[in-house]
Amino acid sequence: MKKEIHFELNGYEVSAEVESHKMLLNVLREQFHLTGTKEGCGQGECGACTVLVDGLNVDSCLYPAFEVEGKSVTTIEGLVGEGNVLHPIQKAFVEGGGIQCGFCTPGMIMSTKALLDETPHPSEEQIKKGISGNLCRCTGYVQIIESIEKAVDLMETEPEK
Amino acid sequence: MKKFDYYQPENLSEAFDLMEKFGETAKYIAGGTDLIVRIKQKAIQPDVLISLRAIGSLKGFKVNGGISLGSMALFRDIERSEEMRNACPALVEAVSVLANPQVRNVATPGGNISNAAPSADCAPPLLVTEAVLTVAGPGGERDIPIETFFEGPGKTCMDATEILTRITIPETVGKTGTAFLKVGRVSQDIAIANAAVLMMMEGKTCRKCRIAAGAVAPVPLRLHRVEALLEGKKVDQELVEEAGRVAGSEVQPITDVRSTEEYRRHIAGVLVKKAIQEAMGRAG
Repeated sequence: MKKEIHFELNGYEVSAEVESHKMLLNVLREQFHLTGTKEGCGQGECGACTVLVDGLNVDSCLYPAFEVEGKSVTTIEGLVGEGNVLHPIQKAFVEGGGIQCGFCTPGMIMSTKALLDETPHPSEEQIKKGISGNLCRCTGYVQIIESIEKAVDLMETEPEK
Repeated sequence: MKKFDYYQPENLSEAFDLMEKFGETAKYIAGGTDLIVRIKQKAIQPDVLISLRAIGSLKGFKVNGGISLGSMALFRDIERSEEMRNACPALVEAVSVLANPQVRNVATPGGNISNAAPSADCAPPLLVTEAVLTVAGPGGERDIPIETFFEGPGKTCMDATEILTRITIPETVGKTGTAFLKVGRVSQDIAIANAAVLMMMEGKTCRKCRIAAGAVAPVPLRLHRVEALLEGKKVDQELVEEAGRVAGSEVQPITDVRSTEEYRRHIAGVLVKKAIQEAMGRAG
């Protein structure tokens, strides 16, 4: 079964003919070639595929593509501002060394975005809860948490465009 | 991934019509965080999924004394509701440690309960509050006390055409407190064991209590022997210790990848003990 779905993707109205068994992750990577969103476990454990749907972080590997009809989807590519300027959260991860191999990073950053949108000044505990659906197998989280704290500061001084 | 068709009915009768048309090759899908995983693991191979996400009547919840919880309410909204926390702390505690934020942003109590995992975190709080599950099908609607709903791992008394539509938690009376506790490898994991307690107190005496534990039997389990031990008695430290021991012997756990029978018995006793104390503290 196939259907044309319409949704907002990183600020643009888009449509795509999608097969009914595809997940949002497949559509993003295979049809829109937005390969920043990664497939890790494919089972909702690791969070590498995290994107925002209507502002909420979800695992795109478990999100049936048909369900995004009429919704707004933001991927890691959508965070980059005018003139390829990194989003403050991205900048904080780069500067804070919250990245090692980088595979978990897009998902980690999307969960951070959802967290900071709801809680602009999270406690360390809230940060840990906020990224509890994102696994990193390299750095061990210390620098990731520091990067998120840095992102909070950066967003104060250079708010999102 | 196996191909399947995907339908998004906007009301229950459309959903029933689709189920009637496709029969046993079809399955209802809620948030999908369990079902899609099982399809990917080839544990189930449906040809058709009928999504319940567009059915407005299944969404949201209302607190007025008791709680009327739509089966498709989102865990994220329950977790953030002060009203829900006041009305039923045990349920909110269970929901806040269920999987991770991404899952809670799409997953629902209806899905959690209908999947009937013995470890379902929603089940013990709903068992101790004696929730009533409203189930609708092509033939009409029926109310099922949650204690008779679960029949085995993944098995409920619903037939395949029926949909869990509403969960009703009756208003608690008197000085009543509830609590939920869970042990997993980390809290977002599937429970090694979980437990919920409801205590209705009169001074130091337990007027009524309800105790339930999960991941320690083929179904989420009411612990009637522990309840009988406590009810009508003055609750002191010694009695709470005894309740923990009885809980450890009343559960029927197995050894699997997540834990051993022995540890589950031990930890179920500990969780019940702690949850009794916590629920009593809230019953003031």
